[in-house]
Amino acid sequence: MASYKISPQNAFKRNFLEVLWVATARYILFRAINAFIVLFIVMLISSILFNAQMEQQKYAEIRETVAAMMRNPELVSGLNRTEIKQLEQQLTNELIEQYGLNKPYWIRVFYRVKDIMLLDLGHTQNPGLSQTGSTKVSDIIMEALPRTIILFTTGQIIIILIGLFLGLKAAQKAGSLIDRIVGFASMISYSLPMWWLGMIMILIFSYKLHWFPSSSLSALARGDLSTPLGALKAYATAITLPLITLVIVGFGGWAYITRNIVLATLQEDFVMAARAKGIPERKVIYGHVLRASSPPIVTMSIISLLNSLSGAMISEAVFTWPGMGRLYYIALQQGDVPVLLGLTFVTTFLYVFSMVLVDLIYGLLDPRVRVGVSSST
Amino acid sequence: MRLDELKTRIKLFMNEFRRYKIGIVGLVLLVIFSGIAIFAPLIAPYEDYKHWNDQTYWEELPPAVPPAWVNYFSKKKAAVQYEVENPPVEYVENAHIVTVEYDFNYDIPPKDILVKIQTQPLAKPAKITIEVTRPDGLTILIYSSYDLYYGGQMFKIFLGGDMSSRNLLIEFAKQYDTEENIASIEGREVTIDVIKILFSKAEPGILVGTAPPLKGKYIFKIKIPSLVYEEVEYLKVVFKGAVYGLLGTATLKRTAVGRDLFVGIVWGTRLALLIGLSVAVISTVVGVLYGVVSAYLGGWVDEVMQRIQEIVASIPLLPILLLLSFLFKPTVWHLVTLMVIFYWTGPVKTVRSMALQIKEQPYVEAARALGASNWRIIVRYVMPQIIPYMFASIALGVPSAILTEAGVSFLLGAETATEPTWGMILSDAYLAGATISGYWWWILTPGILLTLTGLTFVFIGYALDRILSPTLKK
Repeated sequence: MASYKISPQNAFKRNFLEVLWVATARYILFRAINAFIVLFIVMLISSILFNAQMEQQKYAEIRETVAAMMRNPELVSGLNRTEIKQLEQQLTNELIEQYGLNKPYWIRVFYRVKDIMLLDLGHTQNPGLSQTGSTKVSDIIMEALPRTIILFTTGQIIIILIGLFLGLKAAQKAGSLIDRIVGFASMISYSLPMWWLGMIMILIFSYKLHWFPSSSLSALARGDLSTPLGALKAYATAITLPLITLVIVGFGGWAYITRNIVLATLQEDFVMAARAKGIPERKVIYGHVLRASSPPIVTMSIISLLNSLSGAMISEAVFTWPGMGRLYYIALQQGDVPVLLGLTFVTTFLYVFSMVLVDLIYGLLDPRVRVGVSSST
Repeated sequence: MRLDELKTRIKLFMNEFRRYKIGIVGLVLLVIFSGIAIFAPLIAPYEDYKHWNDQTYWEELPPAVPPAWVNYFSKKKAAVQYEVENPPVEYVENAHIVTVEYDFNYDIPPKDILVKIQTQPLAKPAKITIEVTRPDGLTILIYSSYDLYYGGQMFKIFLGGDMSSRNLLIEFAKQYDTEENIASIEGREVTIDVIKILFSKAEPGILVGTAPPLKGKYIFKIKIPSLVYEEVEYLKVVFKGAVYGLLGTATLKRTAVGRDLFVGIVWGTRLALLIGLSVAVISTVVGVLYGVVSAYLGGWVDEVMQRIQEIVASIPLLPILLLLSFLFKPTVWHLVTLMVIFYWTGPVKTVRSMALQIKEQPYVEAARALGASNWRIIVRYVMPQIIPYMFASIALGVPSAILTEAGVSFLLGAETATEPTWGMILSDAYLAGATISGYWWWILTPGILLTLTGLTFVFIGYALDRILSPTLKK
């Protein structure tokens, strides 16, 4: 801390800030532990449910490994049939021991959860899922994740900009036409299935008008990815339709939340004081009001963001955007258990991590708050 | 609160509600949807719904065609579904002959022609033939069965798909078309629309489908040769329309058979409302009780209950729902239970803060001093103030539940479901390529209804929220 003379006022301030900081840090730690517990419980339940299938796969893996080992001429030279069989059995047993498959049920489950928590997500049977042909689930998910993030974050940024602007305008002119439009748009946001709107968009813009490709994957495949301009064009064509869909469904919620919170803030005394002082309206709104209402806006919006995540995931399947959502769809259709478990883990992790992040941001912005994000749902 | 106090409260509430036009709109929509749901058996036959997945049941319907009313809006008229049942049979020259007349005055021919015959067991197995006399005077043999008909059983002929009719019609078309066109379809005969050939003018282009339609009266003669007269028990000719019904048709998975979307949609209304309301009501009631009890009991019980709630609330709904649905192939009711397990956490925090405030009120203290039990205080003093909020909360929870179910159904597909929900219908649509083939009627209807149902409850909830907004909350 900066050194300054300790006067009675300073001493109080220092103490206060220190206490606050410690309290906030402790609070964040508490939320982080909470998050970890949630993750653990979710993976525990999933692992229990899928235990049988995962083990079958592990056994298949062991058989393959042993078969590969048995093809090694050095190992089997000079052995007769029974001895070969014995060797096979011995190797298999060793691997079973190694993978812990002969231990009691609960220990096996625990090991699986431990594996997942340490990010060892296993392998899938299906090599077609990864662009590099890898069968490691973590590779597959790591490929899909950035694409989902690109689509989703770009969409959210646009939504935030539009939503904030409209929400502010609606709050300024409460009761006006724009206010009603915002209200109605938010209701539509709440009831419209994003993935259905996606289907409609494809119907109109792809089937009828032929402006955009119906499948993002094919657009990316057809595009010329070698040159930067070509790649950009390919991405732009592929991403436009999903993006528009995301924004149309999303901006309503943001606009409405902003409008409500700003409306409440506008009634505060400091706004009246600022206006009385002669500060231009623009500065009042964007400078004072926005800053004051940012903590609840941020939290509420991140909550709505998390909620729209599921809709976005399903939309990915509709547009065949090669992200996590589409991976989920394929994994479900093909019954690919390792991928499903891995996806559950990553999604839950992101979800829970974002909630902790929100608490952190909210705690920073408004250190008086003690309650967590889950209380505002 | 006493009974008459409750009555006045309700009356005041109704007056308030009238002020909010949007609430009234919501209420009207709710009545309409409830009406459809309740009277579903009267509007769309239950038999149709029960056999949603039954291929033979739907064999008379054309696959994936738009609703019949499209004809009012387009210049090109599409053939409407036309069925002839048990037309008169003549026994002439050792053969049963059935004559069916068909007036073709459309621009777009039928999708297929289905002939179903059932006679008494025949003395001698017979070869069934079908001949047609076209408006341009040409009489063609369009069908000659490869298998002999023994009688006694139902014999079905799909003229669009049967090898015999296809070959005969293609040969007929080749007589009138250009060398070019004949060469162009070499190897691709299976893609030719033979029914279109039947109803096209006999000129170049007929083979590839570019010849104009031949309008007029078509006379079909179905002939079953037999030395002795046998009874023709049943005969039906179905000209599968290029349009059908109020809402069009959807295809049965991996078949060329159509199902009446009207049936699926109407009955889906029931499921949508049931699911939405059950989930919303049960989860809200559980959540409210949880919150009230937690607040009222206070102390470490409160702490523990809140921690539990926070943990459950932090679990993301969709991934878990997908995982569990994938594993158990649940029925709709399993889905409802799962959703309730996640949704109950919603109202808890708000209700708890409300209950905490009420707990400190003087009248509660007074009641306790008089010896009222905990339960009595909760029921008589706390709950009546929370119930208004509860109703608004229920209303706003319904759209969320309906959409979640639709989303999960969409992802999982309607593999074995005998009772389709709107989400499953959309899943079928997507898998059948409705988006890229332009089957707009299949996609629009379920989706619009999903949104409207959601909006219904949002409107009602919005009005309720405005009126009953708990002043204790903010």
